[in-house]
Amino acid sequence: MRYLIGLGNYTACDDAIGVRVVEYVAAHGLERGFRAVDLGANSLNLIAYLVPETTAILLVDAAEMGLPPGEWRFFAPDEVETRKAAAGRTTHEEDALQVLALARQAGESPPPILFLGIQPKEIRFEIGLSPELDARLPEYAAAAIARLLEL
Amino acid sequence: MTVSARINVHHLTRVEGHGNIVVNVTDGKIEKCEWQVPEAPRFFEAMVRGRHYSEVARITSRICGICSIGHTLASVKATENALGIQVTPQTLQLRALLKHAENFDSHVLHVYFLAAPDLLGAPSVFPLVASHGEVVARALRLKRLAHEWGSLIGGRTTHPTTAVPGGFASVPKPKELAALKERMLAAVPDLSETLATVSSLAGRVPAFDRPTEYIALSSDQDYGLYDGKIQSVMPDGAKERFEVAAYEQVTNEFMVPQSTAKYAKHKLASYAVGALARFNNNFAMLHPEAKKAAQTLGLKPICSNPYMNTVAQVVEIFESFHASLAIIDQLLRDGVREEPLVIPARYASGAGAVEVPRGILFHEYAFDTDGMCLRGNCIIPTNQNHANIQADFDRLVPQLVAARTAEKDMELALEMLVRAYDPCISCSTHYLDVTFVR
Repeated sequence: MRYLIGLGNYTACDDAIGVRVVEYVAAHGLERGFRAVDLGANSLNLIAYLVPETTAILLVDAAEMGLPPGEWRFFAPDEVETRKAAAGRTTHEEDALQVLALARQAGESPPPILFLGIQPKEIRFEIGLSPELDARLPEYAAAAIARLLEL
Repeated sequence: MTVSARINVHHLTRVEGHGNIVVNVTDGKIEKCEWQVPEAPRFFEAMVRGRHYSEVARITSRICGICSIGHTLASVKATENALGIQVTPQTLQLRALLKHAENFDSHVLHVYFLAAPDLLGAPSVFPLVASHGEVVARALRLKRLAHEWGSLIGGRTTHPTTAVPGGFASVPKPKELAALKERMLAAVPDLSETLATVSSLAGRVPAFDRPTEYIALSSDQDYGLYDGKIQSVMPDGAKERFEVAAYEQVTNEFMVPQSTAKYAKHKLASYAVGALARFNNNFAMLHPEAKKAAQTLGLKPICSNPYMNTVAQVVEIFESFHASLAIIDQLLRDGVREEPLVIPARYASGAGAVEVPRGILFHEYAFDTDGMCLRGNCIIPTNQNHANIQADFDRLVPQLVAARTAEKDMELALEMLVRAYDPCISCSTHYLDVTFVR
């Protein structure tokens, strides 16, 4: 099974972009050949999908990459380094990269995983995306699906 | 030698959200001793206003990424009470099963990923991979099981979609429940090892005792995670029950200068909620296997050592596991079938409560005759614990000073105390922050 997994805090403006992309895919009936999963802000639950039955995962998440708001990039976990401290292990301090690192260190062999990182404009307590990101939801969804099906 | 200390733990790690510990001691004199919660309020009550009753739980499930099942269930229960909806026995069983999944999941997360590093002398779970690899591998297996369990019943664990006002939008198939049972039975050795691991570390739980009032849902039918009346147990063992509809007479929220979160008090200056509060209130209703776990861990009611909350969570891991196996057996015997949602009988106001991992959670709503929400209220367990954490600080710090505890050890003792409450202050963000290396 292939998974399109969205991560993010639904109530923190552009932090929710991963969840919103998954929501868009489900609402438009685009879930074909893969399953769309909303993990919310609980990225530790990514562990549940790192199993032999999983053939590929495409994770959509907000990513601070120094790009203009709304721009996006695909990247593999080993193409980036997280700037977040690894001291804490909570659903707030961790990110998906740290969860993957923990699984690998514990001897697990995650399936092929690719990130779709989307540059946020604003991260604050508000339900709803910035207009720059909201307008590009169809583009993000199409890119994510096409890439996931190639993995 | 007199003790001086300057403790300023800004954004304590391994708790859910942001909280600060500030303690100033000069020549043995305590000048400041505060548990500060500087989180911004999130105004969920305003967000549900004007929404149709069928949408409210979907919104409130977003209050928390860990307790989203609990927020969903408290929300649908409050909505159903407001709308005069009586759900079916099958719905009650499935919701109890879902509630257990959440508590099991969250307790595994807290015990293994947040508390264990303290007991094993590590700064985080990462170094434990090298020193206690099997413990971490077991934690990942149990976390995986919990997610599958919650996903099957709730649709997805993080923000469940199946539990809606009036019943379930879809129910699991019998063969899926049977498969879940098999998965759970395969995890029995991991549970036994969990008990052995925590039991071996029990001697490292700090000795500290401060009797307080403990408040939890309580039921004559079961351990009371999904439903019951509000119950208070005092340090002398005296118990009293209150209707959920009268929850504001129990919580008595108030503001303090050091926190933007509201505090709560009832019969004493503070009270505690959470696993230890449930254990102290409802020990008699524990599943026999959970009672056995408590005995192995040396936990007896009434325990007033807040550090033992983590140990009570281990007991509850057993409670949720074995109570859920019994529910699954019952559902398989009775058969699980799709049922129509029960429709509203009236449009009024109502409250609902469930026990989320960190304690009792209240939701209340009022609806107009079109089913649109007029107002909402939500009181989360962590806020109910803030005053009690402060009262613990006020008792513990003088003890640490009198024992001439070094600043570093004092800081760790206070951090561990806060972490034992497993506070979930507010969901924060978790976005990636990366540099490209290739």
